[in-house]
Amino acid sequence: MGNKLVVAVGATIIVLLMSVFSVAETERVIKFRLGEIVGADYAPGLHFKWPLINNVKKFDARILTMDSTPERFLTMEKKNVLVDSFVKWRIGDVKTFYTTVGGDVGQANIRLDQMMKDAARSEFSKREIKQLVSTDRSAIREALITNLSPHAAKLGISIVDVQVKRIDLPNEVSSSVYQRMEAERARVAREFRSQGSEAAERIRADADKQREIILANAYRDSEVLRGEGDAKAAEIFAKAYGEDSEFYAFYRSMIAYKQSLGKSGNIMVLEPDSDFFKFFRHPK
Amino acid sequence: MSWNEPGGDKNDPWSGRNDRNNPPDLDEVVRSLQEKLGKIFGGGSGGGRSGGGSSMAGLGYLAIGAVVLWGVSGWYTVDEGTRGVVTRFGAYVETTTPGLNWHIPAPIEQVQVINVEQQRFIEVGYRSGSGQAMGSVPKEAMMLTKDENIVDVRLAVQYQVKDAKDYAFNVLDPNSTLKQVTESVERGVIGASNMDFVLTEGRSEIVSAIKAEIQAVMDAYRTGILVTSVNLQDAQPPEQVQGAFEDAIRAREDKQRLINEAEAYSNDVLPKARGAASRIVQEAEGYKEKVSAQANGDVSRFTQLLTEYKKAPAVTKQRMYLEAMETVLNRASSVLVDVKDGNNIMYLPLDKVVGNSPAPAVEAVALPEQSTSPGSSQPIQKYESDIRASARERDVRGR
Repeated sequence: MGNKLVVAVGATIIVLLMSVFSVAETERVIKFRLGEIVGADYAPGLHFKWPLINNVKKFDARILTMDSTPERFLTMEKKNVLVDSFVKWRIGDVKTFYTTVGGDVGQANIRLDQMMKDAARSEFSKREIKQLVSTDRSAIREALITNLSPHAAKLGISIVDVQVKRIDLPNEVSSSVYQRMEAERARVAREFRSQGSEAAERIRADADKQREIILANAYRDSEVLRGEGDAKAAEIFAKAYGEDSEFYAFYRSMIAYKQSLGKSGNIMVLEPDSDFFKFFRHPK
Repeated sequence: MSWNEPGGDKNDPWSGRNDRNNPPDLDEVVRSLQEKLGKIFGGGSGGGRSGGGSSMAGLGYLAIGAVVLWGVSGWYTVDEGTRGVVTRFGAYVETTTPGLNWHIPAPIEQVQVINVEQQRFIEVGYRSGSGQAMGSVPKEAMMLTKDENIVDVRLAVQYQVKDAKDYAFNVLDPNSTLKQVTESVERGVIGASNMDFVLTEGRSEIVSAIKAEIQAVMDAYRTGILVTSVNLQDAQPPEQVQGAFEDAIRAREDKQRLINEAEAYSNDVLPKARGAASRIVQEAEGYKEKVSAQANGDVSRFTQLLTEYKKAPAVTKQRMYLEAMETVLNRASSVLVDVKDGNNIMYLPLDKVVGNSPAPAVEAVALPEQSTSPGSSQPIQKYESDIRASARERDVRGR
């Protein structure tokens, strides 16, 4: 009685387990009936199936990444660039995905990589490096998404995003870029130094000019002052000496004789009939 | 039928969630569980059936014990700074907050605990291994700028989980997705800027542009990641051209140095010139004062003498003349030639006379000196000769 119950309960549990399946948030599920697809896209949670008749296959519902290997492309100016990109995708139509690539993500990535490279090749050949690197990034991205989406849809893949990571120049081109950068820096360095010389020369010349001006002004002012002094003195003299110019002449002459004559061994040859010798000859 | 039809939990057999704020006591849990299980298995109160044998009762108790244990295993704690994402048969139910929580134990419900406050980070362009020097990863670090130069950029992106549900369900490997997006976005931003801008003043602008764009893409993918900060560890020219760049920086410093030297020269010359100018003017003022003072002195002497002279002109004149002659002849070697009509040849041995003369006692009488202005274009030299002259003058006066 008890054993029977246990067996019954156990059997019930086993049958129950075989007749349900769960779908996680991260999963996409296809239900088969004896190998034929009978349903897909179940909401997450617990679902019913017939034991033994139905079986389910689960796929990843999350956004997946196809990180492509770096590839060389030719640009419009026939230059090689090395491009590394990735595609974000998720399973769109799970049935198609199952039938075309067998539900194998690796397989899907290989197919996507090829598509991506074909699409990228045509996009890149239309543009020059400068556009690829700076101006046209978002345009390329949109063009690639537009190009890829219909092809990917045939595999049941929906493209979320395409991003171009690296656009690099091959090594031989890089070295010429480096040379150009060096030359550019050398030019800048020379420019700096000559600008420095120029500015320094200006400053020095300005200093010299100012010095000349300062000194010249000082000279002018000093001469004015001296002139004033001389004029003042002349005025004083003229006022005083004008009173008796004859006596002044005499007085000044006497001073001048004292000052200038008979210095440093002069020899004076005199005639004795000068006034000085008046009494020398005629002592009256 | 299915227990969980798409589109709602209306048929949810486990609708009675526990109030998370005050966990119920065990008895109640057990009782409610019994009821629930009873509903499932269509029985009455689980295992409490009358009429069963002792073995039945034992089995019943065993079953109850197992169920209780199973129920207890549903308790779990969520640590501070983490969230628990609860799924029932794989379907999302709720996100639980820190504290003690209960879920219907496995295999019905499962909890994924996700840290939402931990600051994680990724490095692009370099790897900072612990204890070893920062290693560059050229493949990630080298990128082209708008002006077709190459720069070496190293970024660190800090991020945390802002939405545990999205983080858990939407993207396979959100962390490496962030890294891929960062690489793509930074190249986009750097590629749209010129090299000088990247290396110098543009750093903060570039960083904020990169951050905003990464966040936008991550939100578009619904990764549940929040970028908290983007740090530009390093942005420099490639190693191959470092020397040239350093020289350019040196050149900038050289420029400044040359300018500074010139400024120093200017700062040296101008004050000196101003000093010299001041001296020239002062000298002139001194001269002006001196000249008028001397004139006044001379005039005063003369006028006093004149007053006396007017009292006795002849005598004074005579006296002055004789004194002057006396002074002059006192100093000079004089030869008196008392010969009229010098037909006779007279020999004067001048060379002998010269040299035996006594040293002249110089008595300088200050006279108003005639200022000469040669108008030279070198005022300084003139000024110096003036100084020498006045020095001589002082010398002479000092005796």
